[in-house]
Amino acid sequence: MKKFGVLAVLLLFTFSILAGCQSQGGKEAKVNFPEKAIEIIVPYAAGGGTDAVARALADAAKDSFSKPIAVVNKTGGGGAVGMAEGAKAKADGHTVTMVTVELVTLPNMGLAPFTYNDFKPIIQVNADPSALTVKADAPWKTAEEFLNYAKANPGKVKVGNSGAGAIWHLAAAAIEDKTGAKFNHVPFDGAAPAVTALLGGHIDAVTVSPAEVASHVKSGQLKILAVASEKRLEQFPDVPTFKELGIDVVVGTWRGLAVPKDTPDEIVSILYDGFKKAAEKDSFKEFMKNAGLGLEVKDGKEFLERMKNDNELFAKLINSLGLAKK
Amino acid sequence: MLSHLFYGLAKVLRPDIFLLLLLGVWGGIAIGSLPGLTATMGVALLLPVTFGMEPEAGMLLLLGIYIGAIYGGSVSAILLRTPGTPAAAATAMDGFEMAKRGEAGKALGISTTASFIGGIVSTLMLITISPILAKIALKFSAPEYFALAIFGLSIISSISGKSPLKGIIVGVFGLLVSTIGMDPMTSYPRFTFGNVNLLNGFSFIPVMIGLFGLAQALYNVEESEQAVKIQQKVEGVLSALSEIKRILGTAVRSAVMGTFIGIIPGAGADIAAFVSYNEAKRWSKHPEKFGTGIPEGIAAPEAGNNGVTGGAMIPLLTLGIPGDAVTAILLGALMIQGLQPGPLLFKEHGELVYTIFSGLLVGNVLMLISGLLGIRLFIKVLSVPKNILTPLIFVLCIVGSYAMNNSFFDVGVMLASGVIGYIFMKLDFPASPIILALILGPMAESNLRRSLIMSGGNYSIFFTRPISAFLLTLALITFITPFLKDFIKRKNLGN
Repeated sequence: MKKFGVLAVLLLFTFSILAGCQSQGGKEAKVNFPEKAIEIIVPYAAGGGTDAVARALADAAKDSFSKPIAVVNKTGGGGAVGMAEGAKAKADGHTVTMVTVELVTLPNMGLAPFTYNDFKPIIQVNADPSALTVKADAPWKTAEEFLNYAKANPGKVKVGNSGAGAIWHLAAAAIEDKTGAKFNHVPFDGAAPAVTALLGGHIDAVTVSPAEVASHVKSGQLKILAVASEKRLEQFPDVPTFKELGIDVVVGTWRGLAVPKDTPDEIVSILYDGFKKAAEKDSFKEFMKNAGLGLEVKDGKEFLERMKNDNELFAKLINSLGLAKK
Repeated sequence: MLSHLFYGLAKVLRPDIFLLLLLGVWGGIAIGSLPGLTATMGVALLLPVTFGMEPEAGMLLLLGIYIGAIYGGSVSAILLRTPGTPAAAATAMDGFEMAKRGEAGKALGISTTASFIGGIVSTLMLITISPILAKIALKFSAPEYFALAIFGLSIISSISGKSPLKGIIVGVFGLLVSTIGMDPMTSYPRFTFGNVNLLNGFSFIPVMIGLFGLAQALYNVEESEQAVKIQQKVEGVLSALSEIKRILGTAVRSAVMGTFIGIIPGAGADIAAFVSYNEAKRWSKHPEKFGTGIPEGIAAPEAGNNGVTGGAMIPLLTLGIPGDAVTAILLGALMIQGLQPGPLLFKEHGELVYTIFSGLLVGNVLMLISGLLGIRLFIKVLSVPKNILTPLIFVLCIVGSYAMNNSFFDVGVMLASGVIGYIFMKLDFPASPIILALILGPMAESNLRRSLIMSGGNYSIFFTRPISAFLLTLALITFITPFLKDFIKRKNLGN
């Protein structure tokens, strides 16, 4: 019997610690903002790209606000856990979420308990297009040749992506949608394994971001046939956009900050001013350049516009791929 | 090449850089030995700190942590049967048994020496033959990963102690658990009951902390009544040194295996440790003694998992492809410094590459010295009375499982796994097969289906590719050997 007594005490002890972990204080929002530390929720693991952008931005923004900024990683569900928590946070501006393009893909797949309407965007800081990339010694010299081959041999060309329903899968689907080509989509666990498989010649192409193939393009092992952006990239000025080739595909990932939708506009504008200043700092620009990430700073209104457009585009693509769980 | 290496060595021995490396190794050992803080996490957490440093200094700090943490996991695995990192789960099997006999010092000495051998052998392979080895990384695609995962799973029958059948029951249970979460090919949620926390399945670290750490702590609660205190022998270092001859062969073999597994992207220290343990047992003259606390049972997984450190750097530096989760972060660290790993790195930044080589060599030496000197300190943990130590382990388990993803859900997972692990202990079911199943189940599933997408549904893809065919054959042999031996033994007894 005594054994159980000890066990009970231990369990009680354990649960009291748990209770301690959960309680979180919060004050009413006032116009003097921030009243306490600002927390940025990163829905992905420490060490990844989104985490790096958030930390670099937080570092650049530390002079913009009177209170410190903390970056907290809340991972799980391919970003769903962190963004769900960010959407449900107290709408006082002290909890900011680093939202990514998954904000408009996960809900359309039926995998997330939120939509982009649950957030009020503050600022967009990054955008990277999809880059159609093949091996340097591949038989296709141009995107047209590649797409003509894919049209002539439907389902034969193996196009690697970073996961089923992930942005680069949808990018390949967008290319199919606009050209009538039919690919054999091969999902990998992230972009890096897909690029490795391309290097090894196990697949024919990838549709990941330019940064993820840049080092292999520079060393002459891979070549980019076209990018799905509005304008040509500074880093690869010789690579045409799909638009130039008469294929209207603009698709890619983006990152930015957002707060819960009920956050007062005055606070949103204080946050915007602070982070805008940070995003324009040389240190942040340098970081983005070195990391190979596209710097694209837009205000909340333009950011919302992009979310809205992408939401419609992806809703259609996800349905056509049969990925929607309804 | 030697002159480059001396240049690198001179750089590493510069006081400030040397200090950072040393701090990295110490910090790594601390991070590694705390359950829930893994090598990956330690490197990720310190990554932002390196942004402001010169590339060499930053890289060596992170490499120090990498080396230290992979080794550090064995400290808590041996002393508390709570693997600090997944890579040390295999070490717990023999390490804890040896510590229970009062030979914790010897166990730690062996794990330190073996880790050192693993690190040095793999670094030497990195320095001398990395361009040749790097090609292996590109040979591996979905069918090979599937075959590797199946080979890993086949080990279950031989690490399950007395009853392979119990091991298989536990392994299948683990495989079933590993199907929870999004389908890897269609992203369809399976068995999640609408809970977003389950979309990616159960996180593997909290499960491990529960199965090993919490379960052992619950077990201790029972034992504390009897209060048997094991007198720990202190001549740990010396007796470990005398064991070197015995473990050297095993350690070097495991180190080479660890290096190869490190090279393969997506297969890391955890898999290397289990595979090395299994192979050591396969080639041993007395395989039945594995699991009872023998030196080889500690040396193999520890040399294997530290072998991964040098191995994983091979594709990173030569091809720009990370060999495991830690080197994926190192890739980011290099890029943020404006350096592109890959074939051009050797040409454009040769000094940095050789500084990294020298740093790995020196870092491993520092780990050896710190580890051996630390043994007396580490052992003190066991002189803490159990009624104080056990609650501390409870706290560590909770903090560790929360810290991984800042997730409260994970704490619940850990507690549930702890209860399951306790029941397993009581019924004499081994816990390691679950860990293997959780690591390898998703790898096997997604690569099976990825292969079939690539081949258009044709299963011959697994048998026409040599590496895949070889690994699958090896898996079959590994899986049936224990049963076969059992059968022969019984037949002989019958006659």
